[in-house]
Amino acid sequence: MKHFTKLATAAALGSVLGTAAIAQELYTPNLAYRTGPFAATGIPLMNGQADYMTLLNERDGGIGGVTVDFEECETGYSTEKGVECYERTKADAVVTQPWSTGITLQVLPKTNTDEIPILAPGYGFSPMAYGKVFQWAFNPPSSYWDGASMMMQAISGGDMASLSGTKIVLLHLDHPYGKEPIPLLEKMAEMHGFDLVLIPVGLSQMQNQSSQWLQIRRERPDFVLMWGWGAMNAGAITEAVKTRYPMDQFVGIWWAGHDADLQQVGEDGAGYRSISWSMPQPDAPIMADLEEYVFSRGLSQAEDTDWVFYQRGLVISMILAEGMRTAQQMHDTAEITPAQLRDGLENLEITEERLAELGMSGMVPPFSTSCADHTGHSGGWMLEWDGEKFVQASDLLMPDRDLIRPLEIAAAEEYAEANAPWPVNEACDPES
Amino acid sequence: MEFLADVFVTPFVDMVQAPDFLMQVLWEGLVSGILYALIALGFVLIFRSSRIFNFAQGIMVVFAALTLVGLFALGVPAWLSVGLTLVVMFVLAVVIERVVLRPLVGQPDIILFMATIGITLFLIGFGETIFGGENKVMITEELGIPTGDTVLEPFGGLLILQHLDITVVIVATLLVLALLAFLNYTQMGRAIRALGDDHQAALSVGISLQTIWVLVWFIAGIIALVTGIAWGARAGVSFALEVIAYKALPVLMLGGLESITGAIVGGLMIGILEKLFEIYWGQPLLGGNTETWFAFVLALIVLLFRPQGLFGERIIERV
Repeated sequence: MKHFTKLATAAALGSVLGTAAIAQELYTPNLAYRTGPFAATGIPLMNGQADYMTLLNERDGGIGGVTVDFEECETGYSTEKGVECYERTKADAVVTQPWSTGITLQVLPKTNTDEIPILAPGYGFSPMAYGKVFQWAFNPPSSYWDGASMMMQAISGGDMASLSGTKIVLLHLDHPYGKEPIPLLEKMAEMHGFDLVLIPVGLSQMQNQSSQWLQIRRERPDFVLMWGWGAMNAGAITEAVKTRYPMDQFVGIWWAGHDADLQQVGEDGAGYRSISWSMPQPDAPIMADLEEYVFSRGLSQAEDTDWVFYQRGLVISMILAEGMRTAQQMHDTAEITPAQLRDGLENLEITEERLAELGMSGMVPPFSTSCADHTGHSGGWMLEWDGEKFVQASDLLMPDRDLIRPLEIAAAEEYAEANAPWPVNEACDPES
Repeated sequence: MEFLADVFVTPFVDMVQAPDFLMQVLWEGLVSGILYALIALGFVLIFRSSRIFNFAQGIMVVFAALTLVGLFALGVPAWLSVGLTLVVMFVLAVVIERVVLRPLVGQPDIILFMATIGITLFLIGFGETIFGGENKVMITEELGIPTGDTVLEPFGGLLILQHLDITVVIVATLLVLALLAFLNYTQMGRAIRALGDDHQAALSVGISLQTIWVLVWFIAGIIALVTGIAWGARAGVSFALEVIAYKALPVLMLGGLESITGAIVGGLMIGILEKLFEIYWGQPLLGGNTETWFAFVLALIVLLFRPQGLFGERIIERV
């Protein structure tokens, strides 16, 4: 409807003014999920994303003088609907934001021929980090394998040898997303001598995980790692409380660290931790700008703007905006193409200084990307639920890149071979 | 040989060696089973009285729970919110009868089934517009539902009984008994059963189809509210609750679409058996997550031998 209105307006102007120029926009569709069983995760993230772009349009007149058209296409986290959304929006898009590992995997081969960059911050297929093979895919600032590595460091207290002989459960959504860390964790189990137990949670079991937690009670693991999304997170945390599993031995990936999920158990959830590449900073200068240009003008749907997920949504849109700004500077044009944005995303320089300029100091660790590194591997912090909110519980943790990098390259090359002919960026130096 | 031992010996040895754990598994299965039975009852009541397979039962659970939580968030006292939610569910029943069902009287069953899919889609969109899609906290404590637990040590082991689960079992059992009493000992209840037995005969003796339809949809709404409170108290109120309602489908296949006894027995059977299978066979031998399919396979096996379900009526149509 929005597009139809624009089309009609453009046609009317064209007929009246003849050769009148029509202002361009940077069309950045977001394959959002504000409905269905995963909406609890999606809504605050999508609100943060949308608000950041609204801020740029309202305060700065867009990016480089070009406004951002941040349109959402609702997928309900369904892979089929996500692919439909991609097909529907790709014609005018400079980027696609698939918002699900399942959708990302489906869209990945298409973007090679359509030549549209995929931006999947903190999700998607971990080997997408290897930009030589995945030329059009970006998952900054941290991949799932980075996340798994940091979680293992946190539970081992930095001494991986201490995990020898322990039992670690991976409680995961039975979905491509939930299966992402398994190759790395299996490798680590082999290296460090711990017993890895995989416990899947089906979509219909997300809110009734009594069987999974009975198994956990029987297995008596030393730690439980959770790869949950949407309603699965609250289901797992309430069952953990119910079965009296020690919260300080229960750690989630960054999508399992949502304030609303922990509010279900309140004080009983104190001690639960979640690795996170973003950190809420309610007093950051950008929040004052949002208040002035977005909230006070009634342009936001957001309610809890100091929550982890809302603030992460801001960071996600910042990464895209910085990619567009970099592309504009590299190619000396405001109206960039998808290929030019790809260059921008490949040359991100998110430094402490740049974060301070953006009013976002401390909201994400500094990172940079290159043609061979489409992730940046920023590291992350452990957040801990104190009974009311998430608080910082560690210094910046960094993934074990020496272990992960060869696995990424091998998995990327294996993927390319399985999907041959797969175009590879031969000009890209893997060491860059 | 080892495989045969894993299937036929090890699980039973595990049960004997850890009887406290077996009791916990059975308890969890019982709680799930009662909730499955409750949802299935909503389906059965509507099917008996109108031959409509109510696809909207799942979303009615979500809608009722969201209405309750939403009213409370507006400052309405907890128990008044329950009362107002029941009013909303009654109005919904009236609207569905008047706007959707009445114009479709006499249409083939499949049309009425499709209409309930339409009701589902409408309620999803309407609910998300009014209440949003975020996960909300059920007002468990405000309703006075106990939230602690009782720890027992049978056989020197550990058995944790959540007070919430005990309450759910008691309330659901009372609701089922009340429904059975209503259907068997009241004029309205007998009218519902009469419609289920023979539509034409029931109409010919003056039973009002419209009134009965409103009534059964309202009862389905009450069941939806109780189910929504029970499930919502366990893991929050969100649209994910709708998925749980689909667990009632194999219960109906197993117990029979028309049988209230079938819904109760089928729900309990599936709740307990799927839990036992998952813990003692599914997780050790099949990698777990068997609850997503076990109930359907069990129902299919039953249908092979009793196409009408365990308690359904055998329909013989003479041509």
